[in-house]
Amino acid sequence: MPGKNQIKTDDPVHIAGYWQLVWKQFRQHKLALIGGVIFLFLILFTVAGPFFVPHKYGDMNFMAIFAPPLTEEHLMGTNELGQDVLVRVMYGGRISLMVGFIAASLSVSIGTTIGLLSGFFGGNVDRILMRLVDVMLSIPMFPVLLTLTLVFGSGLRNVILVLTLFGWMGVARLVRGTVLSLRETEYVMAARALGARNSGIILRHIFPNVLPIIIVSATLNISFAILAESSLSYLGLGIQPPTPSWGNMLQNSLNYMLGTAHGVSPWWLTFFPGFLIFLTVLNINFLGDGLRDALDPKVMKK
Amino acid sequence: MKKYLIRRLLEVIPILLFISILIFVILNAMPGDALLQMRMENPRAFANDPAALEKLRAHYGLDQPVYVRYGVWLGKMLQGDLGYSSTYRVPVLNLLKSRIPNTLFLTITAWLIGLVVALPIGIYSAIKKYSAFDFLATGFAFVGISLPHFWFALMAIIVFSVHLGWLPISGMSSYGLTGTWEIFLDRFRHLILPACILGFVQVAYWVRYIRTALIEVMNMDYIRTAYSKGITRKKVIFKHALKNALIPIITILALDIPYFFGGAVIVETVFSWPGMGRLMYQAVLGSDHNLAINCLIFLALITLLSNLMADFLYAFVDPRIRYN
Repeated sequence: MPGKNQIKTDDPVHIAGYWQLVWKQFRQHKLALIGGVIFLFLILFTVAGPFFVPHKYGDMNFMAIFAPPLTEEHLMGTNELGQDVLVRVMYGGRISLMVGFIAASLSVSIGTTIGLLSGFFGGNVDRILMRLVDVMLSIPMFPVLLTLTLVFGSGLRNVILVLTLFGWMGVARLVRGTVLSLRETEYVMAARALGARNSGIILRHIFPNVLPIIIVSATLNISFAILAESSLSYLGLGIQPPTPSWGNMLQNSLNYMLGTAHGVSPWWLTFFPGFLIFLTVLNINFLGDGLRDALDPKVMKK
Repeated sequence: MKKYLIRRLLEVIPILLFISILIFVILNAMPGDALLQMRMENPRAFANDPAALEKLRAHYGLDQPVYVRYGVWLGKMLQGDLGYSSTYRVPVLNLLKSRIPNTLFLTITAWLIGLVVALPIGIYSAIKKYSAFDFLATGFAFVGISLPHFWFALMAIIVFSVHLGWLPISGMSSYGLTGTWEIFLDRFRHLILPACILGFVQVAYWVRYIRTALIEVMNMDYIRTAYSKGITRKKVIFKHALKNALIPIITILALDIPYFFGGAVIVETVFSWPGMGRLMYQAVLGSDHNLAINCLIFLALITLLSNLMADFLYAFVDPRIRYN
């Protein structure tokens, strides 16, 4: 039984829904499409990859320390303990991506809530919340980030906490700006005239319209979190070894980089983790760029 | 305008106070203090007198509650007494005086490099929109934004210093050099990598920003009017479009100054550059609370002042903006 709202594919007067238009628009953005595919591949690489490599991330082999890439069984070479760099990069990626996803979703949720409240209620609520944003933005982020991780102790949970604390302001500002203009639209006024409650107006009428901005911010926040986590780990304040993360693998590579101990610089220890951070962030940025264009109704009409 | 300026300047004070309280409380929540460090370094001095630690703690006022200590610290700071660094054992003021110029040297060079590279690229890719050059520049900007800069710095060290041996690995100068020219050249060789890397990261953002700003202006009605008056393309771009596009560009150039200081923490650490960023990092790591607080406040002050400067520049270059 076809329902009333069901779209028939052979319907001659079928009008595409918003998300169908978005997809259509997004598909035309080649770079974003490629970015999305590579990003998915990277997730797959880190999640499923370890099952296809005959090593574990802790496996040591002192017969094969500092093996260069493309040697037998070690596609990306080995480190100072003879551990396989490829499998460590995969495990490290799981951690880095997880930190990125969780920190981004938390900070976007906080930012959205604050932006919605601030923009919708205005007045003193708005003044206080936006002052808070101003103050948070004028705190030099990186030094404080560093200090906070030192205070709370490094480790997965605290890194996520600190990145969340410093990631929500941009989203809050963007959402607030949009809500300010949405608040004055006819359909919100109509809803209000019909007696809708504030919560109803926010959730049913305003939120869906800020969703595009939120999605774009979320992608960009993921790349911010991944970069920041790697910087913190690099300074020894992020994820702690033996758990590998892209950042702490880079930090570890520092000890051998100059090649003074073994006469040769094991560049692959530095190159691969950093290159994967770069690849991930680059493709998320491409994806975000494409989504920004695709989700914008103004661009869509063209 | 003058009123606005004064009000904004006065606003910096409560924000700075708030930040200082925040930083003070956070740092004091940190495990360990200067005395524990002291005891670790001189175990014998403390072994004979178990009460020594408590006595010293009382002597330095560390047994007082946080708000009392904050009050004492604030009072002294307002009189220009920044206290001592427990790790370096010299007045903090002396340390800051010797480190701040090094950081300024690095960040200003990086900022200038960024500007000199980003402006022509941004302008040219806006003029030649959708050309091969524009495509390349946009790609380059994406790459720059996505690069973790410490990794970029490490790879540059591996390539230019370890493998090719062209440039020094770290530090700011070599020992035992005589002759002005030699010293100058040595400084320059030490500066190249850190300054380029610090500047390059910002170039990527700026290129995108300059391009967008200029393209936006080029779509304005008055540009069409200028063309229709028969003014040459060159004149339209440089006299009409660029002048107006500069307004948002100048703002972003000023607003981004704090990023240079933030980025300097990483770059200075990678290159062992004796500047503020590295000093702050080591102070925080070494529980040198007093030094850390002063470094952090200095960085906060820089952030606030450059925000302020961006606002004023905005009003200064754009006659349409009138603050009341």
